[in-house]
Amino acid sequence: MSGSLQLTGLTRVHTAGAAPALDDLTLAVPAGSCVAVLGPSGSGKSTVLRLTAGLDTPTRGSVHLDGRDLAGVVPERRGMAMVFQRPLLFPHLSVRDNVGFADRVRGLPRRQVRESAERYLELVQLGGFGHRPARALSGGQAQRVALARALAAEPRVLLLDEPFSALDTGLRQEMHELLADLRLRLAPTVLLVTHDPAEADALADTVAVLDAGRLQQLGPMRELYTRPRSLAVSRLLGGRTEVPGTVAGGRHRSALGDLELPAPAAEGRGVLVVRPEAVTLVAAADADARGTVVQVRRRGLRSLVTVEVAGAEPAAVDAELPPGQEAVVGAEVGLRIPLGARCVVPLADPREVASAHDGQR
Amino acid sequence: MLVSRLGSRLGRGALAVWLVLPLVPLLLWAAADRWSAPALLPQAWGTTGLAEARAAGAGPAAVRSAVLGTAVALLATPLGALAGRALTSGALRAPGLVFGVLLSPLVLPPFAVALGLDVLLLRLRVPAEVGLVLLLTVAAIPYTTVVMRAAYAAHDRHHDEEARLLGASAWRVVRSVQLPLLAPAIAGAAFLAFLVGWSDYVVTLLVGGGRLVTLPLLVGAAASATGNDAQVAVLALSAVLPPVALLVVIGSIGRRARR
Repeated sequence: MSGSLQLTGLTRVHTAGAAPALDDLTLAVPAGSCVAVLGPSGSGKSTVLRLTAGLDTPTRGSVHLDGRDLAGVVPERRGMAMVFQRPLLFPHLSVRDNVGFADRVRGLPRRQVRESAERYLELVQLGGFGHRPARALSGGQAQRVALARALAAEPRVLLLDEPFSALDTGLRQEMHELLADLRLRLAPTVLLVTHDPAEADALADTVAVLDAGRLQQLGPMRELYTRPRSLAVSRLLGGRTEVPGTVAGGRHRSALGDLELPAPAAEGRGVLVVRPEAVTLVAAADADARGTVVQVRRRGLRSLVTVEVAGAEPAAVDAELPPGQEAVVGAEVGLRIPLGARCVVPLADPREVASAHDGQR
Repeated sequence: MLVSRLGSRLGRGALAVWLVLPLVPLLLWAAADRWSAPALLPQAWGTTGLAEARAAGAGPAAVRSAVLGTAVALLATPLGALAGRALTSGALRAPGLVFGVLLSPLVLPPFAVALGLDVLLLRLRVPAEVGLVLLLTVAAIPYTTVVMRAAYAAHDRHHDEEARLLGASAWRVVRSVQLPLLAPAIAGAAFLAFLVGWSDYVVTLLVGGGRLVTLPLLVGAAASATGNDAQVAVLALSAVLPPVALLVVIGSIGRRARR
């Protein structure tokens, strides 16, 4: 049932003269894979799905499914199914009739529809729920039925628009496991949209980071975490440490000192970004840099500490301490930043910084 | 808590009395062969009123009213649904203005409008029955539009998109998703349109020229005469009870949809 999807130069301008909601996106979703589009709200990620599904028309660019151009093909003939953030079950139908909707529309005999619906309900662990009215389900159950309904349509591509973001943490975890299990069994092609890096990490093989309608970076989640290509990507993935400095001869010079880089970086001004999980607090003798703890926040058994390092351009470095290790505000500590965790990204475009601040206001 | 529940019950009780009380003398009169003041109850019970009403043509008049109401409902409901859909689709440039125009029959005096349009219909040689249905449909459209506009505004279009993606054509979406979800509103709109046709007096009198006798015309004629209170009561009740029965049916549709 899985097809391969290719988006090429996809652009959508909602109102003439305004900035495009989606700008020149090229993205491949190979058959049987799961690609996540990760971005903050308003980044254009839902637009990607609407254009792919044919619910909106692209201003430019194309959508190909198994090599066939889908321009002008109506949504019902695209062989795609979508699960939205809300379950959107048809309230006048039973759970079984919801799941069997696509088969009924195809004109399959009632008995066959019923059997198929039951099978898909079993698949989402809701066997025996078929006779219930759609309104009588809890949020988590309803979203499972929505997933079963989409799968029962046997789509070439399954589109997921933040399908689990309205669920609480425990349920979301369950749904992630369910989807991983369904991927093993059915190998559907999945294009997922989410604002949650953890969700993208849990579900997707490849992640496309979208910001302000533009593709920022594409790759496996590990790579995005350790080698973000821009400040925007680093921030979106929860990166907190940003140390401005200068790159020369494969080394980054800043308040933290003269640090060797694992990979070549562009010479000149550059910002060193480091994941808090990679930074450790050590004795002064083994440290790459020394500073003062200015803030400690609890994160379950771990603590997230912010260490300020003095210099011409003072820097703040965040470190996540392992369980058992504690730090107090005001303590002088040494920082160890492993070579592999160092990554330099270009200084943000000044206009971008200004607009980001405007957005926060 | 207790006070508010008590207050709510009192309120509902008062409302029921307010609505039912006028029907009590009607019911008594309908079954009274003789009831002269100052007696509290009729002195003689009987079915004279019923017999007189039937002799006056209540049966055919009720059928005419029902046909008129049904025809108006059949025309005004889909038109109101289309208007409601267009008004909430975002496709209209000035939906407020269009809505105002559609509501205008409510603010124009029906007598003046009917008189003017009657002349036009006569000139165009439109048969009285057709003209009457057309005029009453225009009068009913504000009601059906208001109801359907609210229903479409509350209708979640994502359901339609979901159905499309599951393979349903645009028409199939209307049939399998929109109509069932909008059924209570459609029933409500149709009921209001039916009432416009069922209970109209002025337009029927003017356009029908007194030859097209519907139930309200019969009630009006009987009530303007004297000494036939039992007949008037029977006619009035036969004008009131069918819509009430219809309302109960529609209420049950709405309740079933909400379950």
